[in-house]
Amino acid sequence: MDIRLLEQPFDAAAAHSAFLAEHGALGAVASFTGVVRAAASAGEVAHLYLDWYPGMTEASIQGIADAAVERFKVTALCIWHRCGRVEAGHAVVFVGAASPHRRAAFEAVDYAMDRLKSEAAFWKREIGPGVDHWVEPTINDAADLARWVKP
Amino acid sequence: MIAVLFFGRIADLAGHRRLDLAAAAGGDSLFALRDRVLAEAIAGGRVDTTAVRMSLNRIERRDDAPVNDGDEVAFFSVFSGG
Repeated sequence: MDIRLLEQPFDAAAAHSAFLAEHGALGAVASFTGVVRAAASAGEVAHLYLDWYPGMTEASIQGIADAAVERFKVTALCIWHRCGRVEAGHAVVFVGAASPHRRAAFEAVDYAMDRLKSEAAFWKREIGPGVDHWVEPTINDAADLARWVKP
Repeated sequence: MIAVLFFGRIADLAGHRRLDLAAAAGGDSLFALRDRVLAEAIAGGRVDTTAVRMSLNRIERRDDAPVNDGDEVAFFSVFSGG
């Protein structure tokens, strides 16, 4: 597993290429990159500030990664997550999963992202001209998380 | 001393990122500490204590756990990552 909490920008395309080069021979590689949107409902966003709790934030990401590997039996999992100031247009999160079968790789990435949105120890603030507010979780975030609750 | 940290919207409400406090005489607990450090925001109706999440030594807690000298406590709003 490759888990990183990054205070500096990273190149998501390079992250994907490196993950593919290392694990592509398994047969299935899926990935997701989250990018800071310049437009929000409240107005133009110049950057995010992702507050984090050193130690607890890393542990929360690791716990999500462990659960994804255990649940979907993927062979490799990568989560890179930014913290601090993240400019609009920059990658904020990259998740990659590799497996012999595509379904497991797709689902592991989907699951990890849904849990990162709601359960990783981050507090997101949108900042721009006339915009400065903490982002609250949405009903959609809760619904996304609920998809993974086993009956 | 107890290290008390604040994150997210709760840091704004508290007006601090960190406080170092002596434990109350007779012992402290998460709920008592929360009500003490956020007293102004609570009195002003700016925070609903049920929305304040807590951790003790970097483990999230929802109970009124005892807090002792040397512990690290954090108060924060709901997570919003990804």
